[in-house]
Amino acid sequence: MSEAAATELDTPAVPVAFPEESLGDLLRDLETGVAVVTVADWRIVFENGRFFKWCPPNGDTDAPLDSRLNEFRADRARDRIKGNRSYRQDFELRDGARSTFLEITMRGFDGGDEFAVVECRDMTAQKRAEFMLESYSEVAERNTRELQKEKDRVERLLLNIMPRSVYEEMKDYGTVTPQRYDNATILLLDFVDFTEMAVSREPGELVAELNDIFSAFDRIVEMFGCERIKTMGDGYMCVSGLPETSPDHAADMARVALRLRRYLDRRNAAHTRTWNCRIGIATGSVIGSIVGIQKYVYDIFGPGVNLAARMESMSESMQITVSTETYDLLRDDFIMEERGTHTVKGFGEKELYYLEGEKERTTIRRENRM
Amino acid sequence: MTKSTFERYGGFGSISKVVSSFYDKVLDSPELSKYFENIDMRRQIDHQTKFIASLMGGPASYSNQELERAHARFTITRAEFDEMMELLQETLEDFDLNDEDVNEVVQNFNNRVNFVVRH
Repeated sequence: MSEAAATELDTPAVPVAFPEESLGDLLRDLETGVAVVTVADWRIVFENGRFFKWCPPNGDTDAPLDSRLNEFRADRARDRIKGNRSYRQDFELRDGARSTFLEITMRGFDGGDEFAVVECRDMTAQKRAEFMLESYSEVAERNTRELQKEKDRVERLLLNIMPRSVYEEMKDYGTVTPQRYDNATILLLDFVDFTEMAVSREPGELVAELNDIFSAFDRIVEMFGCERIKTMGDGYMCVSGLPETSPDHAADMARVALRLRRYLDRRNAAHTRTWNCRIGIATGSVIGSIVGIQKYVYDIFGPGVNLAARMESMSESMQITVSTETYDLLRDDFIMEERGTHTVKGFGEKELYYLEGEKERTTIRRENRM
Repeated sequence: MTKSTFERYGGFGSISKVVSSFYDKVLDSPELSKYFENIDMRRQIDHQTKFIASLMGGPASYSNQELERAHARFTITRAEFDEMMELLQETLEDFDLNDEDVNEVVQNFNNRVNFVVRH
């Protein structure tokens, strides 16, 4: 730093006097419009060039302020100023395709209410930004709504192939840990002579009916808090006691089975073609997991599933066959018929039963509980 | 997924300046400003914002039918269309988009000529 510069810093420069006579010119050249008006009759006492340009008089140069501002709320402005408060109003100037947005602020001059200072600012840039943001958020919001709709659709699709809690786990962690459930009851159902029905009838019609029936089954299964696992051709598999454990898994599954059968009974009475099912129910342990990477499904495996499959194949038309383990859980509340001892492949000798109905008192108890 | 031009140049925050500049150029153009007379600023801005955003792959898109319907009440000439294209190109160049991106956006614009210009 040079010596001269250092000295300049130490000793404050003598202020150059601003020529007071230039203040008028300064006001005139401001980018803000400024005017002083009388509050009583809005006569203009002073105005700078910018103010004159933005709020030009219509012909008469002595025209008061209220005649120069479109839709000026004169009474409100006067009340505000008399109350020692400021008044603000927006105006729009139109020139061909262009708009200029002005904001006018008025307040009493020097705290009094005889004269008012009027300031006029160009707010066009701000308005433009506001409009742009408005327009942009409108499209952004619409996109968000569309995205949400798409997300809901995907969720609905995924909920068709896996239970909600499994879906949540998959969504949160990207993977699902296989779980072992020791107390689950599994139901398997298929239709008697389906293969013959399939070859002897128009395929579209057959599938439409099957779809009808399975959709009704889904509603029944859901009503009792059970899970539909999958359909395999004419086979239908559902389970109770997972993914949420339930002390009533066997009873809930039995109720589902009775209603599936009743649904078919009623349907058969009203239709020319009859659909007769075979139902097998077993209680045991299963493992539930997502299987597959790209084409994944939620599936269950284990002895419980194998036993249910045996029960189904050993069942008769429109009968519900139940194994010993399930019978033990159901016998107090359900009407069961003994089928005697049978050899079940892979499970040895087992007592089998037909599930006939639910005992009256349980129905009452259940209704009371609900 | 590849990013759109809109995203690569900073999304709405940056593109809003492009919109603003383009809006000025259009209203300053003697050939084009007449189409925006008697249309309030909110709608003019709305139009330009969606116009730029959709050309650059932002969150707005116009189908050809929408484009046709929106311009049906005007008799827009090929020369006016070209003027608009010129202004668009200038604006994008002013904001230092690379040539490839400018060309792509302008090409997108040009491809839709038949839905805007009356024959």
